Amino acid sequence: MREKETTLYLGPQHPGVTGNMMVKLKVAGDTVVKAETHVGYLHRAFEKLMEVRSWMQCFPIVCRICVPEPDPNEENLARAVEEIEGREVPERAKYIRVMVLELARMASILLWMGGQSGSAGLYTMPQWSVGDRDYILDLFEELTGGRVYHMYIWPGGVRRDLPEGFEDRVLKTLDYLESRLPDYDHLMFENAIFQKRAKGVGVIPKEKALEWGVVGPPLRGCGIKHDVRIDEPYEVYDKLDFIVPTYEGGDVWARAMVRRQEFEQSISIIRQVIEKMPKGDYYNKVPNPFNWIVPPGEAYVKTESVRGEFGYYVVSDGSLKPRRIHVRGAAYVHGVSLLEKILVGANIADVSFIMNSLGVCPPEIER
Amino acid sequence: MINDKYANKIVDIIQNFARKSSLWVVAYGTGCGAIEIPPTMTSRYDAERFGIRGSATPRQADVLLITGYLSTKTLKRVIRTYEQMQDPKYVIGFGSCTINGGMYWDSYNTIKALDQYLPVDVFINGCMPRPEAVISGFIKLQELIKEGKANGAQKYKENLEWYRENQRKVIKNWKMPDYNW
Amino acid sequence: MNLEKENKFAKQINETFHSAVVKVQRERRIIVELRSDLIPPFLSFAKEYLSFIHMAHYSCVDWLEENKFELVFMLWSYEEDVMLIVKTKIDREKPEFVTIKHLWPQAETYEREIHEMYGVDFKGNDRLGEFILEDWDDLPPMRRDFDTVKYAGEHYFTRPGREDAQDVRETIARHSGEEIPDFAKKYSIRRDEE
Repeated sequence: MREKETTLYLGPQHPGVTGNMMVKLKVAGDTVVKAETHVGYLHRAFEKLMEVRSWMQCFPIVCRICVPEPDPNEENLARAVEEIEGREVPERAKYIRVMVLELARMASILLWMGGQSGSAGLYTMPQWSVGDRDYILDLFEELTGGRVYHMYIWPGGVRRDLPEGFEDRVLKTLDYLESRLPDYDHLMFENAIFQKRAKGVGVIPKEKALEWGVVGPPLRGCGIKHDVRIDEPYEVYDKLDFIVPTYEGGDVWARAMVRRQEFEQSISIIRQVIEKMPKGDYYNKVPNPFNWIVPPGEAYVKTESVRGEFGYYVVSDGSLKPRRIHVRGAAYVHGVSLLEKILVGANIADVSFIMNSLGVCPPEIER
Repeated sequence: MINDKYANKIVDIIQNFARKSSLWVVAYGTGCGAIEIPPTMTSRYDAERFGIRGSATPRQADVLLITGYLSTKTLKRVIRTYEQMQDPKYVIGFGSCTINGGMYWDSYNTIKALDQYLPVDVFINGCMPRPEAVISGFIKLQELIKEGKANGAQKYKENLEWYRENQRKVIKNWKMPDYNW
Repeated sequence: MNLEKENKFAKQINETFHSAVVKVQRERRIIVELRSDLIPPFLSFAKEYLSFIHMAHYSCVDWLEENKFELVFMLWSYEEDVMLIVKTKIDREKPEFVTIKHLWPQAETYEREIHEMYGVDFKGNDRLGEFILEDWDDLPPMRRDFDTVKYAGEHYFTRPGREDAQDVRETIARHSGEEIPDFAKKYSIRRDEE
């Protein structure tokens, strides 16, 4: 007998939904028959605002596009402008940038651990991982002055040099976080309930993954080894030694394990960065930001954020203001077309679980 | 029924004390400020020691925390959420963008002053406010409740016409049930 | 810089599509400009024969002065690690294009956004309509002739006291006589001018 279909609005005011967005579900009994993503609740018109701002004024704006991990945005815009202008970046600044990006990745993974286990009903984990994330935010605060938004990376380098003894404090924090990993394993990754919830849920078919535009941990969770840091190395990633973890299965569990291993890789990358970081300038001369003309040109740059490829398409027409900055958030594809496909057949209780595992981040979908 | 004015006062004091010590916040991350809510609620800052904790539904909650800018699309949902909440209810405007638009002062899709559309009891400024600032904002709200001055909901009821007019100015397609309590 | 594989791709593209203007921008970036009616066959050619399987981005730029919209497709080849940027210009008065969602399903989302933000009509995409905005009745907002400052000023209450936030350059010019304290000179950007 065919069950009656009901429409269920999940969000925007819903504790399980990742941010301010809504998924309109058609359910038959407990099973999702059709899913439709509704976004736009966080549309602040950043791309329009950047067209009426000077180049330097764009930097405080772009970091607000993705809240859990703002640094890839700054990195992308800075690198795009550098590419159009042909501006050189000192070696030390490149190392500092990699360190900031990896710290941001770790902070974001810790926040994801909290969200992922929280949506499975495991409420101890957020208390631990979000609390530990604050140690990284403290480092950011010391380095840049801001906990969440840093506005630290800018064209030609970074805004400030590392404070005295900062490297030691980073290493100390890394040691602490590494010592916490066994605890996280016991509580979350080796937890039988979590494994039962995560295995076989939200499966992305491997043969479709590339065509559907899946990137980042969801792609690597399908066993396909692609990472912007390897495919198109930026900054100094080609001089660092790290592996790109992959996992077979394409389900929530595989994505969780990929992120779990990426966390370890980030720790190792930052340690290498601190070891290899040269002395010297941390920025090249920045032009007067009030009269800064970027020559006409265009650039598409991309960074591996924690959710996948984060791209910026920047067009300059040789004026004081950008012509067009178009952001490709990793969640743009994951949160709309992919989510609508893989939610079909899922249980209602798994919807927010799957959303968390894809890292759906609505501010970068609608910007 | 107690008619004695001293008795009434004692009841008020007890009532306000009880209200101030258990503030349940609607779990609605309306803007980017929502990122500072997990640290506020979890082990490091532990807002629960002040009686502040999350509530999944608006009907069981006391505080509506507007975490940042509101696009007109969200404003409609926020008004709906606010009107579903039961008395006593309070609104906290969180972040500079609820006060004067912040860095979105020229955006075509966000409102610039929250108190034109909803009665705000406490504003917390900053972009974004630190968890300490959030907690101090909550403590300010608790003081106001204790003194019986956090009467935004009363103001909303009395000036419903004015608020409605402002709300209808930005929400073009007004299809909402009437506010009737 | 070794541009061998980029030049190989450029040659292959030129052999098949004679009217394509191919330029190797830098390592790993090839820019192709094409007539708009050749775009769908070109994209399926790039996907099927040149291994550009990943559609990374799909953007639109408003060239108000030329009265044209420019559609930009970014395709990435995982095999060769090269990005192909395909550009075409369409009429701005009556912007129309065909959907490419049969090639990449996620293109549907991009088309919905471009339709809403620029007013481009995509033939064959049945999900166009409200996506990000709600009850929008003005010009599509990302068009260059839509003035966001004016719209915000007309539609939203603005709290007084923000007058000097209009343009930072003017504000700075007004305060140009200002002395920078000694401790701040080290970090001041204005030292470049001296």
